[in-house]
Amino acid sequence: MAPAATKPPAPVNCKLLLIGNSSVGKSSLLLRFSDEQWLPEDESSATIGVDFRVHKMDVKGKKVKLSIWDTAGQERFRTITSSYYRGAQGIILVYDVSNRESFDALPRWYSELETYVNDKVVKILVGNKVDKEFSRQVPTSEAEAFATRMNSLFVETSAKTSVGVKEAFTEVVERIMDIPELWDSAPGVGAAGKGKASSGQMPGGNVNLNDENEEGGGGGCSC
Amino acid sequence: MASDLPYAADAEVSLSYDELEVLRLQYQKELAQGYVTVQTKFNYAWGLVKAPIRDHQVEGVRLLQELYRAEPTRRRECLYYLALGHFKMGNFEEAKKFNALLMEKEPSNMQAISLAQLIDKGVAREGYIGMALVGGAAAIGTLLVAGLIRRATRK
Repeated sequence: MAPAATKPPAPVNCKLLLIGNSSVGKSSLLLRFSDEQWLPEDESSATIGVDFRVHKMDVKGKKVKLSIWDTAGQERFRTITSSYYRGAQGIILVYDVSNRESFDALPRWYSELETYVNDKVVKILVGNKVDKEFSRQVPTSEAEAFATRMNSLFVETSAKTSVGVKEAFTEVVERIMDIPELWDSAPGVGAAGKGKASSGQMPGGNVNLNDENEEGGGGGCSC
Repeated sequence: MASDLPYAADAEVSLSYDELEVLRLQYQKELAQGYVTVQTKFNYAWGLVKAPIRDHQVEGVRLLQELYRAEPTRRRECLYYLALGHFKMGNFEEAKKFNALLMEKEPSNMQAISLAQLIDKGVAREGYIGMALVGGAAAIGTLLVAGLIRRATRK
């Protein structure tokens, strides 16, 4: 079915972005995925602005070079982090299954996505910290239904025990590979922001960086 | 499937002209109104520090230094971006100093650890260039002296 071996061996560049409230475990998921490590809560520190990692993997016979952008969840970095949406092909929205508030904040994150990225961009909703099953506040079924409604993939994970972590990243990338227009050289497809955004202020009183004037080129698969 | 080391993304990625312009206008609007919020100032300083232009970086570092003094609650991010700004300008000693202050408070901060590695690389690179310059100068000097000696002995 797939026209294997016809493509040149150059790796496909793929940009993923981790977003979600602070302390839900975005950095921990990335650390578990890329380094098979985990830092206990008292040793880990809130991300400043953004962090970034490169990870290579094979998906469906293709070499993929993932650049994964880990954003700060704190409100104070909202303007800053919004500038990193540009060029993303996959968005990983993270909440904490033992923290209802982080789940209830999701509509806000989705509305930010609406502002900054094309709807073709692949989204996955990730319920992290399932190791805290005893203090779960968000039922799996509810989150799953929400994800379906938001046109997102869904998985539950634990960065601590590594349950589901690899699957979460792999699923997004596989889905992205299913949509060649997201990564196939053609400039400016799913990558760029949507241009027109309600100018001026963000809900949090922050400045909206995605001003109307789109930057030339529109990102494409550049990392 | 090893991944590369964590990486200070903000060291290399800069904002588009329009994006920086949004932050600058907000800052100047508030400046004209007589009260600049911490958030606005920080956002603008961050945009400046990320910029590829040295004058911008210098201005960004200046604003961050003011914020650092005035806003104890923003110190950790100010330290990080102060270190980053100095790193970008090639002031590795200053960069190290600010980054060390952050690492003192947060010894396992991965971003600070990765920035420290970048700074060390920068220092090493500068060292090589320095050695190359010294080496080059020595070589040229030797040639000159040799030439002079040759000339002198000919006569």
